Amino acid sequence: MNPRYCGMFTYSRALPHHWLLAALALVALADHPSWARAEARAEVGFQEIEESLTCQCGCGLTVHSCNHVDCGSAIPLRKEIREQMALGKTKEQILAYFEQKYGEKILSSPTTRGFNLLAWLTPFFAVLFGGVLVGWTLRKWSKRKTTVQPSTEPGRSRAMSAEDDQRLRQELERLEL
Amino acid sequence: MPTDSGAVALVIAWVLSVYALVASIWGGLRKQEDLVRSAENAALAVWAFTLVATIDLIRALVSRDFNLEYVAQYSSSTLPLYYTVAALWGGQAGSLLFWLAILTSMAAVVVLQNRSQNRHLMPFVTATLMAVAVFFASLLVFVTPPFQRLTFTPGDGRDLNPLLQNYWMTIHPPSLYLGYVGCSVPFAFAMAALVTGRLDDLWIRTTRRWALFAWFFLSLGNLFGALWAYRVLGWGGYWAWDPVENAAFMPWLTATAYLHSVMIQEKKNMLKVWNMALVILTFLLTIFGTFLTRSGVISSVHSFTQSGLGPFFIAFLVFAAAVSISLLIWRLPSLRSDNEIDSMLSREAAFLVNNLVLVGMAFAVFWGTVFPVLSEAVRGVKITVGPPFFNRVNTPLGLLLLFLMGVGPLIAWRRASWSSLRRNFLWPALFGVLVGSLFLFAGTGNYYAVVSFSLCAFVLATILQEFWRGTRARQAMLGETWPVALARLTTKNRRRYGGYVVHLGIVMIFLAITGTSAFRVEQQVPVKVGESFEIGPYRLVFEKIETWETPHSAHMAAQLSVFEGGRRVDTLKPEKRFYKKPEQPATEVAIRSRLGTDLYVVFGSFDATSQTATILAYINPLVGFLEWGGVVLAIGTILAAWPQRAVRGAVAWEGESRVRVEAP
Repeated sequence: MNPRYCGMFTYSRALPHHWLLAALALVALADHPSWARAEARAEVGFQEIEESLTCQCGCGLTVHSCNHVDCGSAIPLRKEIREQMALGKTKEQILAYFEQKYGEKILSSPTTRGFNLLAWLTPFFAVLFGGVLVGWTLRKWSKRKTTVQPSTEPGRSRAMSAEDDQRLRQELERLEL
Repeated sequence: MPTDSGAVALVIAWVLSVYALVASIWGGLRKQEDLVRSAENAALAVWAFTLVATIDLIRALVSRDFNLEYVAQYSSSTLPLYYTVAALWGGQAGSLLFWLAILTSMAAVVVLQNRSQNRHLMPFVTATLMAVAVFFASLLVFVTPPFQRLTFTPGDGRDLNPLLQNYWMTIHPPSLYLGYVGCSVPFAFAMAALVTGRLDDLWIRTTRRWALFAWFFLSLGNLFGALWAYRVLGWGGYWAWDPVENAAFMPWLTATAYLHSVMIQEKKNMLKVWNMALVILTFLLTIFGTFLTRSGVISSVHSFTQSGLGPFFIAFLVFAAAVSISLLIWRLPSLRSDNEIDSMLSREAAFLVNNLVLVGMAFAVFWGTVFPVLSEAVRGVKITVGPPFFNRVNTPLGLLLLFLMGVGPLIAWRRASWSSLRRNFLWPALFGVLVGSLFLFAGTGNYYAVVSFSLCAFVLATILQEFWRGTRARQAMLGETWPVALARLTTKNRRRYGGYVVHLGIVMIFLAITGTSAFRVEQQVPVKVGESFEIGPYRLVFEKIETWETPHSAHMAAQLSVFEGGRRVDTLKPEKRFYKKPEQPATEVAIRSRLGTDLYVVFGSFDATSQTATILAYINPLVGFLEWGGVVLAIGTILAAWPQRAVRGAVAWEGESRVRVEAP
């Protein structure tokens, strides 16, 4: 159900593919899929909305996490979430309501529109750009090597039997710090 | 108005640090050894005078000298001695002084260590450390003096922030500071290498232990902070991606990248520029971290330290970045190395990807931390970048890192053959898949958690396999019994096996993070005396309310009996506290830990009229692995850093076998 981890593995194997970049970014933006399951149980849905909103008391936590006694922000906000849920609204509609009423800063993470897209995409673009750079560098360095030693298998000594060679490799590996 | 010896000592320390800075640069450039020595002696004197100032501030705190503004602000007559001493880093000026004390102590150790070695580097090492010292000493002398006297003497102090009156909070800042400041030493040597043009790996070998030392304390500082948040903030979690937490996490990430990439330079003489860049970046991030903590530019739970220091830090940050990056660019032609790589399937390549992910995570954290400022500047709209953002962006990167942690140490240098890959990874990979399948079979719906557990199993298996193979080899070749073989294997090759132990600690921390973020159960229940509720395997009965008072604070505890399987197994007493002087409430959670899983209970509120208590209860699976992982990580780092007597012999032996490889 959650495609994100699949994308991650593909990503680790083959960094320099541009389409992966787009896929990864999209996948990161996709809504949390557990939401679909959560709808069956209202409490979980309530918690997800709580976690999508920031408490305004200055604690810096989400409405869900703020546990200040008689918090002047979290408690009324929770009440408001329940009222909105009682109206039969979806999570998106409820969050839109809060955003309109209190401004964008009430949301615990940036929206996925306009300038805020930069917040979400830049880290992935940066890593992918870095990945392309690393891939390109590695290729350049490995070419440099192959021009020096065109076709011989490096490290293998002709005078040694395959068995000796294998043993030597193992010994050397053991020695490596 | 009395003049404090500490204030005088600070002024002297400032003058001497300026002298040490100028004299060491002058002496270094003009090759005047006597001037360089004089600068080093001045650096030692700076340390001595900073220590006098620090001790004087502690004395003032302990003797409850409330005429001193700092003492009145951050302590009180009833504050326990332990926290009174900790008030040294409880406020702005004190923590800057504490920072300077650590920095100058390290500078003194560096000077003493290098009385007869690295002489060509030392002038610029001293100069760099003193430049940082001048900055902090200037703040203390001109901007935020810790020895400011009041025109009157208040009867009592305003007390230390209740959030800081906790055991973990007393050790979290010192270890973080040791980590932060420790990063200055490799930075100073890197700068000296750039200035002098001695760009071989001498500076790296000289500072290897300093880098490990800094990394050790950065790791512990982050963990202690997490444990403090867990036990004090009472929201059931330990990491909220608060800007100041991020500030401590970013240099940890880049320092971790550095510790890995230096291995490639030592082994293959590659990545010289990259290592320099990482050292510079880590240092700048430590200053940026202090700026975030001290300036209050970005709102955070740590914003009790808000002040007007921001511009000074920005100026210093820009200055340090400009100097270090210019030096790096100036030396770029000499830093070029004959980089060559045999295969994409090699440890070199794996380490490069590991560096990419670590630096990528640091960037993602940085980006999320500064994005609200950017948004406000560009659009004029305040936005929040909170935990959901950081979790979503960092989880895939973190899992990729976990995967690489299994691959990196076992994949062969230069070129991994398919047979070696199969030999090293077949069983660990199968074990990982098996564990993942078991979780899927058990109906775990959170796929991130399945992948994480699966990867943890994979990495764990690679580590165990390494210990197993090494031990077996020693048993077979040297006829040792297995405990002897295991002990000798580990102690004879401390760097390698210490590294494995550190990785084991990180796997444990990943387990804790996965357990708590995917399987946490929580309940918020109003209960009257005698009523009960269930959470996980437990039934909690609200027995009674207890209240008591000390001159320092008033306490109200909810006594809860914990039943498991019908049997009473524990009594928990979560508290609400009220600290009298600052008139602030605080929470004291109650925890029952079993096999790494915590029953975590918070006393939310109590309504006296209806006699109803609101109790927040959490089951935090595997959270104990956070602490245990920290202990394992610490042991591994100490093992890796412990001096090795037989190094010379080992290197010679290795050299010999290399000769044998090359001979036909």
